[in-house]
Amino acid sequence: MTDQRTQTSGLGFVGQSVKRVEDARLLRGQGTFVADVIPSNCLHAAFLRSPFPHARIASINAAVARKLDGVVAVVTGAELEQMTNPFLPFTQQAGLYTPLYYGLSAERVRMVGDPVAIVVAASRHIAEDALELIEVDYEELGPVASISQALNPSSAQLWDKANHNLLYDHTDQFGDVDAVFASADHVFTETFSCPRQSNQPMETRGTLVEVDPVTGDVTVRSATQSSHALRWMLAAYTERTSGLRSLKQFLTNSDRRSGFLAGAKAVFAEKGEALQESDNAGMIDQIKSDKSTVPNLMRTLAGVAGKERYVKVVADDIGGGFGAKGSVAREDVAVAAVAMALGRSVTWIEDRVENLMDGGQAREEDLTMTVAVDADGTLRGLKVDLIIDQGAYPATPVGAALTARIMQVMQPGSYRFEAFEQRSRIVATTKGKYVAYRGPWANETWARERMLNVVARNLGMSQTEIRRKNMYGDEDWPDPANLPTMLTGPTLDVTMSVRKTLDRAIELADLGTFDAAKADAESRGKWFGVGFASYHEAAPGPPNYFDSINPGTGALVDQPGRVTVGVDGKIRVFTSQMPHGQSHETTYAQIAADQLRVGIEDIELVFGDTSRTPFELLGTGGSRGGPVGGGVVRKVSRRLRQELIDSAADLLEANPDDITIEAGNVHVAGVPAKGVSFADIAAHHMKAKGTAIVDRDAVFDVDDNYNGAGDGGWSVATHVCWVEIDKDTGFVEIPRYLVVEDCGPVINPAIVDGQVRGGVAQGIGAVLYEKVAYDERGTHQSTTYLDYLVPTSMEIPTIEIEHLETLSDGENDFRGVGEGGMIGAPAAITNAIEDALDVTITEQHLPPSRILELAGVVEPD
Amino acid sequence: MKNPKFGYARPTTLDEALDLLASSEDAKLLAGGQSLLPVLALRLGSPDLVVDIGRVPGLDEITLAADGSVAIGALVRHAEVEDSHTVAGYAPLVAAAMPWIGHRAIRNQGTTVGSIAHGDPAAEMPAVCLSTSAVMTAVSARGERSIPAADFFDGFLTTALEPDEILTKVTFPPWRTGDRGAVVEQARRHGDYALVGLSARVHVTDGVIDEAVLAFLSVASTPVRVAAAEESLIGSAPSTDAYALAAEVVSNNLTPGADVHATANYRKHLAGVLTKRALEQALMSEVAA
Amino acid sequence: MSPQNEQGVRVVIGGTIDIECTINGEPVAVETEVRRSLSDVIRHEVGLTGTHLGCEHGVCGACTVLIDGKAVRSCLMLAAQADGADITTIEGLADGDEYHPVQQAMHDAMAFQCAFCSPGFILTTVALLDRKPDATGDEIKQELSGNLCRCTGYQSILDGAAKAVELMSETANPPGQPTADQASGERSDV
Ligand SMILES: Cc1cc2nc3c(=O)[nH]c(=O)nc-3n(C[C@H](O)[C@H](O)[C@H](O)COP(=O)(O)OP(=O)(O)OC[C@H]3O[C@@H](n4cnc5c(N)ncnc54)[C@H](O)[C@@H]3O)c2cc1C
Ligand code: FES
Ligand code: FES
Repeated sequence: MTDQRTQTSGLGFVGQSVKRVEDARLLRGQGTFVADVIPSNCLHAAFLRSPFPHARIASINAAVARKLDGVVAVVTGAELEQMTNPFLPFTQQAGLYTPLYYGLSAERVRMVGDPVAIVVAASRHIAEDALELIEVDYEELGPVASISQALNPSSAQLWDKANHNLLYDHTDQFGDVDAVFASADHVFTETFSCPRQSNQPMETRGTLVEVDPVTGDVTVRSATQSSHALRWMLAAYTERTSGLRSLKQFLTNSDRRSGFLAGAKAVFAEKGEALQESDNAGMIDQIKSDKSTVPNLMRTLAGVAGKERYVKVVADDIGGGFGAKGSVAREDVAVAAVAMALGRSVTWIEDRVENLMDGGQAREEDLTMTVAVDADGTLRGLKVDLIIDQGAYPATPVGAALTARIMQVMQPGSYRFEAFEQRSRIVATTKGKYVAYRGPWANETWARERMLNVVARNLGMSQTEIRRKNMYGDEDWPDPANLPTMLTGPTLDVTMSVRKTLDRAIELADLGTFDAAKADAESRGKWFGVGFASYHEAAPGPPNYFDSINPGTGALVDQPGRVTVGVDGKIRVFTSQMPHGQSHETTYAQIAADQLRVGIEDIELVFGDTSRTPFELLGTGGSRGGPVGGGVVRKVSRRLRQELIDSAADLLEANPDDITIEAGNVHVAGVPAKGVSFADIAAHHMKAKGTAIVDRDAVFDVDDNYNGAGDGGWSVATHVCWVEIDKDTGFVEIPRYLVVEDCGPVINPAIVDGQVRGGVAQGIGAVLYEKVAYDERGTHQSTTYLDYLVPTSMEIPTIEIEHLETLSDGENDFRGVGEGGMIGAPAAITNAIEDALDVTITEQHLPPSRILELAGVVEPD
Repeated sequence: MKNPKFGYARPTTLDEALDLLASSEDAKLLAGGQSLLPVLALRLGSPDLVVDIGRVPGLDEITLAADGSVAIGALVRHAEVEDSHTVAGYAPLVAAAMPWIGHRAIRNQGTTVGSIAHGDPAAEMPAVCLSTSAVMTAVSARGERSIPAADFFDGFLTTALEPDEILTKVTFPPWRTGDRGAVVEQARRHGDYALVGLSARVHVTDGVIDEAVLAFLSVASTPVRVAAAEESLIGSAPSTDAYALAAEVVSNNLTPGADVHATANYRKHLAGVLTKRALEQALMSEVAA
Repeated sequence: MSPQNEQGVRVVIGGTIDIECTINGEPVAVETEVRRSLSDVIRHEVGLTGTHLGCEHGVCGACTVLIDGKAVRSCLMLAAQADGADITTIEGLADGDEYHPVQQAMHDAMAFQCAFCSPGFILTTVALLDRKPDATGDEIKQELSGNLCRCTGYQSILDGAAKAVELMSETANPPGQPTADQASGERSDV
């Protein structure tokens, strides 16, 4: 690691590679992943899944399966529809139709792996035995296996109420597109295709629904990236009450009323203004397409209202997610509904084959890029035609629709275009569901950074020249009070330091060495190439970022945080973030400990348990853990420090300005011997406040929100990839890979490096190894780890990382780093391969056989 | 992904094992389980009876005979073969194949003879058996017989073994003076089943190739030799030209299939490339000399 | 494999089998269905949930345990096959509060993120260093390529394994103090 930090925090832990707190349990095998906490008397669920990409269910007979020894229940799709509400459109956008669907499919299956029945039995083994005894009579319908099949009018239609297979079609323009294209010297067009990838966390999805046999209380333990979102959606979807009955209960039962209001207030009451601003056109379009949306929506809201006790969700250790665990799964709803109906605990731990079929797929997009450029390389205009293959069932809450919007906002990237137009379409196909995957919008970067190289080649420029010439830089924001914006809306400021990373990358890459390296590689029978790619990502983005995506959403993404001190002096930090590998327990302890001048071990992080953590729907995602998650921890910890100091001043009969804290000892400056502990202060505070304090664990209790407002900012990087390609075999080696990134002050360098490397590794996987493969008949061909190739230690090179740490003048400077590796890597690698082969490359997945086809060595089959 | 129901037996003598195998229409032998157990977990197979031969004595040895042939018993793990000095010294092609087989944890449990009995065309050992003219010893209640490798691999995952037979050992003939060989393959990732691979053995007398066997894996439903390419080498001195010619003949003669990992054309091409590399590697000392 | 139960077994379909083995030095006896994998029995019947299941078809290595010191996939072994075996799982490595040197080295290197894969990597490293105490970087990289990690990009894990080589050669002939577990809060000397 090259660690060229220009600034370090003066306080202590932040900026240091403090070793991980999480390791104490995880490295000893004492983690509590959901599959580790299944009670011995719990029932196990398994799903019967469709072997066909598209078929009508003529009949389903579970009589034999129900009689199998050890089987407790078999519930079919039709039966589940009577017990639950359908998944409802979470994202509303003008021009979007979101089909409604249930936990199981009743009449029709739309993908290989589509669940049609759930078996609950004494063991997973027995449940799987029973699956083999269920008879389903399928009548096959035509597959819709690709974007082109979806758009072909003669293909089968997946959703009756949709416009054939087109679920979304929307165009936006920024600037005078026609004028700019008419006046530019050149216009270049290319279509880029990215095949389907899969998030593939090493822990599959899994849920345990524990029903207390006495009280009927429901506790859901789940591998989820957002426990609050899961709780709300399970509450909404698992109770099918008639609207009228529910309303009556709501009006007559104060428990229900207060339960509902407490939750609803958090979402709606405080955000009413924001919601009013939001795009009503989306809902109108949805209702026009599917009138059943209205009664279902009412029933769902009534379901929430009618819940006597909300389910509680508890998430402990999670084995990675990368977006795949941000969705509420159809299986979760089925398992929860059946467990509640039986009044017994039921678990479903997804297996890898299920996971590869429907645990989350991503990225399959075509982007036609048209660039208007002047002869000197000045970029003028950009038109993008994006088509997303979202598979059969839209992911909830974050899926293709929101991704299309984010892609549009970020598409012009770090370059000064004068005009921009994007048409975005979403099509339904007979494939696994499209979910957010680490940098869900990453293909805007891939297609743009690919297109820049195509333009540069056409103009005879180098890939670094065209970038430097058009990139925003510090001269663009001389006046902090009058900042420029991207064409699509978000404000740019000093944190958009992407050109600095490019310049540093050019320096470190040492362009002068390329010719010699090429000659050397040639002498060993290899093609040599280098690829650059730069991007900026909203981590968390400026204050107007979310509103640029969909108006009104900005106010919904406040990050809550809380810190308490108990009468015993114990400090607890509460977050709605849901750690699943990001080391929140360490980094948040670093931040809080610095503010409170205590040790790392003095801080306990409370997460995952909806009965203890503050309400918020996003959980962990969007590279928000550091900037807003860490930001709010800093904010509440700083406020707590002041409260402690004030109370200590009272206790010590001193002036608050004279009080300092050193290693947990609160004292008058210069007299540490007469200091008091946090416990002493808490006891004093409790006495002083009398009965006002009811919770002995929270004598001091500070909560607040933070959304990056005022100083949110961008996280940026330039990636450089070197490749050598064996001319005989087409195998690509990466002799060097460099990332120059700027996420502001680094909280923990080793953790940041780990995030960057992990992201780059997934990018390498995407280009060289991984592909979710369906043939043209819609047959799924990559349902085991022998066919879906996650790279190993032999395939991932050493990744050099250089940190720049641009500071803004805001209060909180942390910027996110979770996604960037995966955003930059596919572009840098494909650019390098194109440079090596000297042909235009338009696809993202480049296995050896494809490389030799592109090089003209081997004919396609 | 859990195993279906099956009966289980763990015999402690070979005779008992043979009786058990013969007792059921649908009995499956379990050695290291590294091929059988994934099949069961995915419920692609569901035998009535699994006969675990793990405790049958006398099958776990690597023996060197006076003539220099090496016999590997049915329960010898790949890792033991990999670490064996006897194998390295007397059956160098077998030793050369080992690092290509999965990963060490698979090799710690999987047996070398099991991978031959399994008859997977993507596995290394069947091709090594072909290229070394290994001899299979099959035993059943009806007696013992020897099957030459050339007659052993019948089709995809099928061999000349009868359902009631156990392959007790595989014998690799002596490695003679002048024998040269290499096992070469290319897989998508390290440790994966090969896209294409080959086990090559050539014999050189006085600077001239007088015998050549090129046995390929992952290009057909069984391991296959390419006779025309072998013949093209006979009589020539080791040289780049000779290898190139053989490589071309290989590419022209093989008809591999396509799958998610590679096209058929690519595999044909790759088979030629690897032929050249295998010959270069095998005959490096000859050329240098 | 050394001290194993030499007894023959005949079980009918759907039947159960009695298994006796040693896990982490403790004798264990369970009665289980014959079709159960070793991993299922270790996790659910013995209750040692540190052994993880990532794929159940032999590819990811998360389920790795040591049998007689050798790394094997516990998902690709029937529990019945392990009758009489000496098994080590991730829970058996640390000595009380003190990490095993490989755990210590992985902690020092900040090797893992979600750490779901960590039991497999740690046990594979233990087995490798047992066989090759002075394993080189390349040997480590080769050997650990049988285990998948989706979070880290592997560099930190390889660094951890290399550190373990150093640490274990020091412990073999200790120049100073044994490494204590300071599970949290210590600053590395970056
Ligand atoms: C992830 C993974 C990667 C792998 N990669 C490779 C690879 O790259 N190359 C490769 O070659 N192999 C690979 N293997 C397979 C491995 O080599 C197996 O060990 C081998 O194929 C079978 O040996 P086994 O002892 O495990 O056989 P088992 O799984 O026990 O048996 C396999 C089959 O052979 C039969 N059988 C076994 N022994 C005998 C016998 N003595 N007589 C008659 N029939 C018998 C069984 O009835 C069964 O049908 C891989 C396995 C896995 C899980
Ligand atoms: S769970 Fe055993 S190898 Fe993946
Ligand atoms: S640390 Fe998450 S899979 Fe390895």
